[in-house]
Parts: sequence; structure tokens; C-alpha cells
Amino acid sequence: MTDVERLFRTYNAALVRYLTRRLGDRDWAEEVAQETFVRALRQTSIQNERAWLFAVATNLVRDEARKDMRRRKHLALLAEQERDEMVEPEETTIERAQEAAMARKAVDALAERDRLALLMREEGLDYNEIAEALELSPGSVGTTLSRARRRLVESYESLQKSREEREKNAAS
Amino acid sequence: MQHLDEGTIHSWLDGALSADEAAQVEAHVKECPQCAAAVAEARGFIAASSRILTALDNAPRGVVPVAAPKKRVDPIVWRVAATLLVVAGGTLVVFRSGGREAPIATTNADTSQNTIAGVSPTVPASGETKMTAESTPPVRKPANPTRGTTIGSLQPSAVLIEKSAVKGGAGGAAPPTSQALPAPTPGVSYSGVARAPASQTNIPARENQKVAAPVSGAVTGNISLSSGSARAAAPTQQTRSALRLRGATALDETGAQFPLKEVGHPRTLGVKVTLYEVAPGDTVTFTEPVSLQLSGVVVTGVGTEERMARQTAGKTAAAPAKRAAADAASAPDSGRPNPTVGAIAPAPSAPVPATRVEVANGVTTISWPDPTTGSVLTLSGRMPEARLQQIRIRIERERAAAAGKKKP
Repeated sequence: MTDVERLFRTYNAALVRYLTRRLGDRDWAEEVAQETFVRALRQTSIQNERAWLFAVATNLVRDEARKDMRRRKHLALLAEQERDEMVEPEETTIERAQEAAMARKAVDALAERDRLALLMREEGLDYNEIAEALELSPGSVGTTLSRARRRLVESYESLQKSREEREKNAAS
Repeated sequence: MQHLDEGTIHSWLDGALSADEAAQVEAHVKECPQCAAAVAEARGFIAASSRILTALDNAPRGVVPVAAPKKRVDPIVWRVAATLLVVAGGTLVVFRSGGREAPIATTNADTSQNTIAGVSPTVPASGETKMTAESTPPVRKPANPTRGTTIGSLQPSAVLIEKSAVKGGAGGAAPPTSQALPAPTPGVSYSGVARAPASQTNIPARENQKVAAPVSGAVTGNISLSSGSARAAAPTQQTRSALRLRGATALDETGAQFPLKEVGHPRTLGVKVTLYEVAPGDTVTFTEPVSLQLSGVVVTGVGTEERMARQTAGKTAAAPAKRAAADAASAPDSGRPNPTVGAIAPAPSAPVPATRVEVANGVTTISWPDPTTGSVLTLSGRMPEARLQQIRIRIERERAAAAGKKKP
């Protein structure tokens, strides 16, 4: 197993999930993740792999990086294998679709740094990794995360409340 | 200690604090209900945000929809299905046309007896070798004044035999006696009729087809089986009905001769063995060296059987011996112009070369050198030598005809 393959198998799922949550589009997320691994290939050494990968992915989203088609092909193949092993999420119901829409709205309402920190944390990155990826001081990650969580939840709850009110109004 | 700030609480809950820091926070939370409540709230936020983020995982694929790989049926499945359809359709057509032919055959037989009678039974003898399944006209060639031969006179069996003769030098075309059973296959039965109306001029193309069909269909190989049953069941209901069907005219004239019919090819190394049925229940064995290129013999028993069925109807009681006698003397006895044997046929082997005769256990065996190849041919059967000789002439005629056919 080559180094990039090991990296891919270890981090792809988390990275794609992070990017999907970040971008709201799975295909785009996979694209960016693949590009991230292509970038990793060019590195002679990476100190903190996970932090590096998430940082690069985050930057790629910003920069709309160019693609290395040949390598992406190979990685797409690996992604396909992995997808086969993954348990597909349940079929989307209307209820779930509404929840997803509200979650998306709530996430988008966050400040970029808060959002990224939160998404990275959800993927298991520790405070040092998040700090490294987002170029923050490690001491500020807790504050960033706490703020992000509170705002996310409050935002989501507020959306939920207004939806319930709309439904109540529609019913009456 | 000051109250814990929210960042520290989250750091502690996330396990991001050092052991010392964590111990301090833990101690404080135990003592400070306000901070304990804040910790509880933080746990709620962590759990809730985690749940909210999970909802994002149902993100759609592709801002620009990517064509999902359709589950297409493998092309091979379509090919197989198409093949089956074609085969099934073809089979249906065959069956249906077969079903159609049978009644037609009956009708023709019914209506054309008189004309049939007009056809000479000597088809094979009259150089009909050229007659193939495809060429109907030659059948009419023998149409001569010889009214009164039997139905069987010309018919498909003759054709079939011709065909077989062409291929393997087997088969005989003798004036028919009337014996037989209805053939099992409608197509075959028709063949008998296709020729029957040959009486005359217009033979529809359709008939040609039908004649052709049995020829190929005859190459079955279950001949001996069916002929066996034919022999066993001679006077059956079917033959009786066939009798009625044919009408009286032909009956009294039912022929003296039974057409030579190949009924089997017992496999024997080094020689080609052909079983001919010369009369119902009477078979002779014709043996010739393999070098005679007989590998291609076409068995035509199925085709002839049907015709014989009709013939049988007319002559159910005739004993083989009687038939043999009649066979031998048919032409002179009947007193009618019968263009059989010598009359038209070139009878290539007429000048009989040295013949050896053996009789053992009631089986007479005659052997003679083939006039063309010089190899020794044998013919054996439970019948008098005279009868065998006659059959032999017929066989040789067939063979000569077949040879003529080969080199037109």
C-alpha cells in the first residue's frame, strides 16, 4: 500500500464528511478530498497528517484548486471501493430533508472559522490539529468551538421554532 | 477559583486539557453548581451540534446532477431473448404449417385418387433419378396411360427414395403395393400427397416445398422404430379409415409391387448395411462395402410410411408371399401397359453377372459383384431367391439412378 493509499484509507471518510458538511454537496466534497490527497502526494513529509489534510482541504475549497486528473482517477477508484464498503444512509424522508435544510442553514450562519473548527472537531481532530489547520492558537480552539456549538444549536432551534409556528399557522 | 469560561468547559469536555487543568476543572465543577449547570449545558450543545451536523450528511450529490449509472440489462440478455423469440416463432410457424398440411394432404388424397392412379408407378425406373425434392415436374413425366397403378405409384416416397438413392444409393422405387400406416408427421403425410396430384400440370410451388420438407425431415434415424410399428399395426383403424378415404377405384388396382423402402441402417464396420422393407413385415438386408460412398444415405422411411399407410388400407389382407408373387408378375398379370422395370429404366444391371446363392435357416442370401466397382454386394432375406433377385434389380436400378444423378 502506497503512502497516499494509506492516507486515503485512513482519512478519506472523515475528510469527505467534513467537506460535505462544509459544502453541502457530496460530489464536490469528494472532488476536493481527492485533490487534497493529490496534494499530499507531492509532499515529502507531513508532520501532522490529519491537520495537514484538513487544512489543505479547507484551503482548496477557498482556492478552487486545479485538478490533477490522472491521479484523481486512481483516487476515484479507491473512493468507489470505499463507498461500496460504506453503509448507505437511510432513504431521505421529507422529515429528514427538512432537518438537513435547517442544519445547512444553521451551519451556513456560522462564521467561517467557527464552522471549520466545529466540522474538524466532529471529524475527530484534536485541538492542536484544528489550531494547526486553521492557523489558530491552541488556546483559542476551545472558545471557538464553544461559540460555534452554541450558535449552531441556537440557530437551529430558532429555525425549528419558526417552522413549527408556520406549520401551526398553516393548520389553523 | 473563578467560574469556568465556556471555552475551558468545552476544552475539558473535549479532553483537550492537560491532566492538571482537567483535575482543577473537575474539582471546581463539583463545588460550583453554576459551573456544573454550564457544563451540563455545554454537553447539550456538543451533543446537539453533533446531531445537527449529522443531518448534513444527506447532502445531495452533484450541484450539476450526475447521471446515475442506469441499471441496464446486459446486452447478452437481450440477444438471448431475441434468439429465443425467433426460434419460438419459427417453431410456431413450422407447427402451424405442419398442422395445415395434414388436412390438405387428406383432402388431396381424397380427391386425387383417380389422377394418382394415372401416374405410373415406375417413377424410379423411368430415369427419374434427376427428380429431386425441388423439382416437381419430373414427377409428371411418367404420366402415361397406365391408369390404374395405385396411389402410391408416384408420390413423395418415390421422390424421397430418389433422394436417398442420390445420396447413398439406397432406397427403391417399385410399384407400390398398398400397405402402410399413417405416418406420424403431418409434413410427411403431406408429402405423399404433394405428389399425388402430380397427375397433372399445375403443381403449386407450395407442394414443392412440402416435398422438399419431408426429404430433409426424413433424415431422422428413428425409421426402424416407426417402420416397426408400421408393420405391427397394419390393419388398424387408421388404415381402415384411410381405405375409406381413398375410395374404391384405386383399391382393386392396388398394386402388385411394394415400394422399396429403407427402414434402417444397422451399423456394421466395413460395410454399409441397408434394411429395405419390401413388403410390410418383409425386409431384406442389403450389404455393400463402404467404399461405395454410401455414407450419405438419407433415410426416408418416415416419408414413405404415410403413403404406405394409405396403401395398406387398400390391401390389408395381402400376404407377403402373395405380394411377392404379384410383385414378380405384376406387369404381365395386370395386362395393362406398365412402364415399369425394363420398359423405361435403363436397368443398368440387367445383365446379371455371376450370382452366388446361399440359403441358411430360411434366409436366402444372394451376392454378386457390383458392375461398376467390382465389390461384392449381398442381399439377404427370408424369401425365395427369385424374389431377392427381383429386389436386387430394383436396388441396382436405384443405385444406378443415384449414380446418374451424381454426375449429371
